[in-house]
Amino acid sequence: MKKINLICIIDDDPITVFGIKKMLKSVSDCDSIDTYSNGKLALDGIKNKLETTQQVPEVIFLDINMPIIDGWQFLDEFITLPASNRARINIITSSIDPADRAKWEYYKLKTTHNITFNYKPLQKQDLFEITKIA
Amino acid sequence: MLKGSQISTISYLIKQLPKATVFVNMRSEIVYVSDKWLEEFNFSDQILSGKKIFTLLSRTSKEGRQALKACLQGEKQKSIIERSLFLASEKQYEWTYSTWYDDDENIIGAIIQSEDITHLKQTELQLEKRELLLDEISENGNIGCWEYDAVQDKINWCERTRAIHEAAPDFEPNIENGINFYKIGYSRNTISMAVDRAMRDGTPWKEKLQITTAKGNDKWVIAAGRPLFNNNKFIGLIGTFQNINEHVVSEIKTKESQQLLRTLIDNLPLNVFMKDIQSRKVLVNKHELKFCGVEHEKDIIGKDDFDFMDENSALRSQEEDRYVMTTLKPILDQEKVVTRKDGKSITFLTSKIPLMNDVDEVIGIIGFSLDISNIKQKEEELKNLINVTSLQNKKLINFAHIVSHNLRSHTANFSMLLDFLVEENDESEKETIIGMLTHASDNLLETLENLNEVVAISSNVNLEKEPVNINNKLTAIEQNLSVFLKNYDAKIINSISDDVSIQAIPAYIESIFMNFITNAVKYSSPERKPIIKLSSTSKNGYTIVSIEDNGLGIDLKKYGSKLFGMYKTFHTNKDAKGMGLYIAKNQIEAMGGKVMVCSEVGKGTIFNIYFNEKN
Repeated sequence: MKKINLICIIDDDPITVFGIKKMLKSVSDCDSIDTYSNGKLALDGIKNKLETTQQVPEVIFLDINMPIIDGWQFLDEFITLPASNRARINIITSSIDPADRAKWEYYKLKTTHNITFNYKPLQKQDLFEITKIA
Repeated sequence: MLKGSQISTISYLIKQLPKATVFVNMRSEIVYVSDKWLEEFNFSDQILSGKKIFTLLSRTSKEGRQALKACLQGEKQKSIIERSLFLASEKQYEWTYSTWYDDDENIIGAIIQSEDITHLKQTELQLEKRELLLDEISENGNIGCWEYDAVQDKINWCERTRAIHEAAPDFEPNIENGINFYKIGYSRNTISMAVDRAMRDGTPWKEKLQITTAKGNDKWVIAAGRPLFNNNKFIGLIGTFQNINEHVVSEIKTKESQQLLRTLIDNLPLNVFMKDIQSRKVLVNKHELKFCGVEHEKDIIGKDDFDFMDENSALRSQEEDRYVMTTLKPILDQEKVVTRKDGKSITFLTSKIPLMNDVDEVIGIIGFSLDISNIKQKEEELKNLINVTSLQNKKLINFAHIVSHNLRSHTANFSMLLDFLVEENDESEKETIIGMLTHASDNLLETLENLNEVVAISSNVNLEKEPVNINNKLTAIEQNLSVFLKNYDAKIINSISDDVSIQAIPAYIESIFMNFITNAVKYSSPERKPIIKLSSTSKNGYTIVSIEDNGLGIDLKKYGSKLFGMYKTFHTNKDAKGMGLYIAKNQIEAMGGKVMVCSEVGKGTIFNIYFNEKN
């Protein structure tokens, strides 16, 4: 398995963040995991790193319902970033609103980044499948 | 031969004959002639003896000449009518040729007498003409005649009268069976009385009556008659008999179809109108009368739309009329709103059709208007209802998704944490996980409470509104929040008059004001002391309460659509849970109101709450 340099978790629920982090430890060999509690903080952090490395995180776990800037608003801006690499963005949600799935289809077509749609709770096996370089 | 004196005596006698007479000898030469003859044929003062008669009257017809010839041979007297003895004269003469014998019965010539029968002929012609005319009239007018001879007690019918009665050729009419042809009732009574009166005092009659013919057909006739008297003695009756059945029947039919049409037009559930080429009304039905607010048709005839509609409606209507009359194209089922002079507006479905005369010239229009105001109103109500329903539905689905999302996210956490717990060996890590489980459980409880609160608002639609004095409520809230306000050093400036009351559910009012005021303070700018201004106005059936702050403000372009959403927060404020505005909005809407917001980042926010004054 190829080594992943940077994983990013964006979720306002500390329990989910804790869970993903804990599972990642056993399925992935990754040096650094950044966590952000909303879309705005995530964009700030990612943009900051992009300036020095010209890279965006290789794998992103993204929640949709978050304060200030939600998952979709985060995507709006993220896909415009001048990244040199392709990211794998895993949307993790407990929403069963079909509108959210439709939005995912929309963003999937709009960008070259790989976007997946996943329901909570995540199993270890699921996480293993989606924690790969795009 | 006649002796000389005899001749002169005879000659003198003949000369004085009152009839135009001429005596000719065997050679057709004139022997004697009467003065009347000379005068008649313009030979006065001429001596004609010895001249040949046909030389004098050369235009005598062939028949005349032959008649004379035959006469001289002893044949019987013959009369010939001569039409054109003279040029340029229309006189007609009857020439009578008789043989002239002497004492010994020898033929010695002919006696020719001429009589001017021009006048006679003309009378004859006139009579003939009159008879023809009478026949013609009788034929075309279907008029027969009859005569009653009182002496013989017998009636004579002419051919036509018999034909009208459809009686057999050998039927012998009399007064009694004549009267029996008339229909029992009005017709028979009338004719009986008329005949009786005519016989008694000589009054003539003329009546429109009905008969039943010999063949059993009912017919309308005009029976006329007058009595005949001779030396004041009644001798009979004479009269005419006219068949007017076709005429009457078609008249009745016309009247019937006219009435049918009128009844139909009047009772159609439509406004029907006819206009002339200048858009003036020439015919309207009951519905149109009612629309125009007029009782009688005569008060509407000749008037136009400007007399009954406001100017705009009338202009538009006449425009349509002109379009139809110039293009000859009908306007069909056009929906339009017409405003009457009294300001009442009615929605019509109108059709206008060009009206042509028998030589295909346009002479006006026929119009039909169906009042669909009620349908329109129902449609509008239905639309509103659909809007409300679909809005409610949307809200409900949205709420279901929120509930599902929130519950699922918590249960997902539970199941994940429990999985970890089962597999975890490290005791301290176990402690951490259990701590998280407790936290998750608390969150779930809180979520359920929030949801309960929302459900309570949505299901309490039957809570009665009552008058609530705004300032009373605000004073109470201010007291409750006094510590909170002091902590932020916040100031409330209230310019709402003490007598302003609204129709509201008291519990909601407290919650709403509490939410907006605490929000205004919570999201105050760190650069200035929070000042909250309260004011109120009244507009379009709403009391509007404004809550204005000088706080952080909010980017409505970015967040406007989510501002009142559940669990939506926009500031990195720890207390923010995204419930306050969502609940406040639900409460306002549950009371038939609405909330509007305007804001500028860095300056502040104004919330305008519209309270519906109606129940």
